[in-house]
Amino acid sequence: MNCKDAIGVLADFLEQSLSPEVLAELERHLADCGPCRAYLETYRKTVELTGRAEQIEMPEEMKARLRSLLLDELRGGRS
Amino acid sequence: MTHTDGEDYLIEQLRAGDPGALEPLIARHAARVYRVAYGITRSAEDAEEVVQDVFLTLVRKISTFEGRAALGTWLYRVATNAALIKRRGKRAQVEVSLEDHLPAFKDDGHRDGDRSFLLLDWSLKPDEELLSSESRATLARATEALPEHYRAVLVLRDVEELSNEETAEALSESVASVKSRLHRARMALREELTRHWSRA
Repeated sequence: MNCKDAIGVLADFLEQSLSPEVLAELERHLADCGPCRAYLETYRKTVELTGRAEQIEMPEEMKARLRSLLLDELRGGRS
Repeated sequence: MTHTDGEDYLIEQLRAGDPGALEPLIARHAARVYRVAYGITRSAEDAEEVVQDVFLTLVRKISTFEGRAALGTWLYRVATNAALIKRRGKRAQVEVSLEDHLPAFKDDGHRDGDRSFLLLDWSLKPDEELLSSESRATLARATEALPEHYRAVLVLRDVEELSNEETAEALSESVASVKSRLHRARMALREELTRHWSRA
């Protein structure tokens, strides 16, 4: 396994969906390859940071406008 | 994804035109729909319009909602489509080719590039640095620069934590396509963050 192969299977590695054979090959490659170890760790951290940074809240005033819009729709629909 | 507790009852309430169903439905789903819409459109104004469109569609079409999919899955699908349509006119403004943000390889498949850059591992930096406003801005710019279908996959998988299968269903794409786009999107963001920390 070379670097291109190793980086190509990182997503499956994180999902723990690699076959035992491919996992063993990846682990052998990582043991010998500093750049790929750095790539794996920063790839893993990128996934975590994306999840954390994008946890935005819906503003309460937007929820209030949505509530009002839907109430109008329901009332209009029934009249 | 299956119906969550009490959701069938809420759907029945809404079918009957009972306004009492609105508040629990908003409480359960509006924030997630907004996050997906904002994640794809990158605009609070557009995201609000998407949320309103999605919930209006829900109210208007509830009589024909068959319930084969969980409501959450249905909402993700409608929200994603609406957000992608909203985004359509704007894509050329900020999106760049992914190729410049993917790792380079030599002919033998080993990494190509400056060795100190290749060895740079910023993952152990403390949270206050990794989530600083400057670092967040880098991540936000990189996310915004992704092609929209890549960003949609990223938001559904890495923010909403849907499975590959659920994401494929929401986007009407194959699981293989979802996995490929997700990996390339993550690599592009990782590259930008690494460039950021190599300059810091």
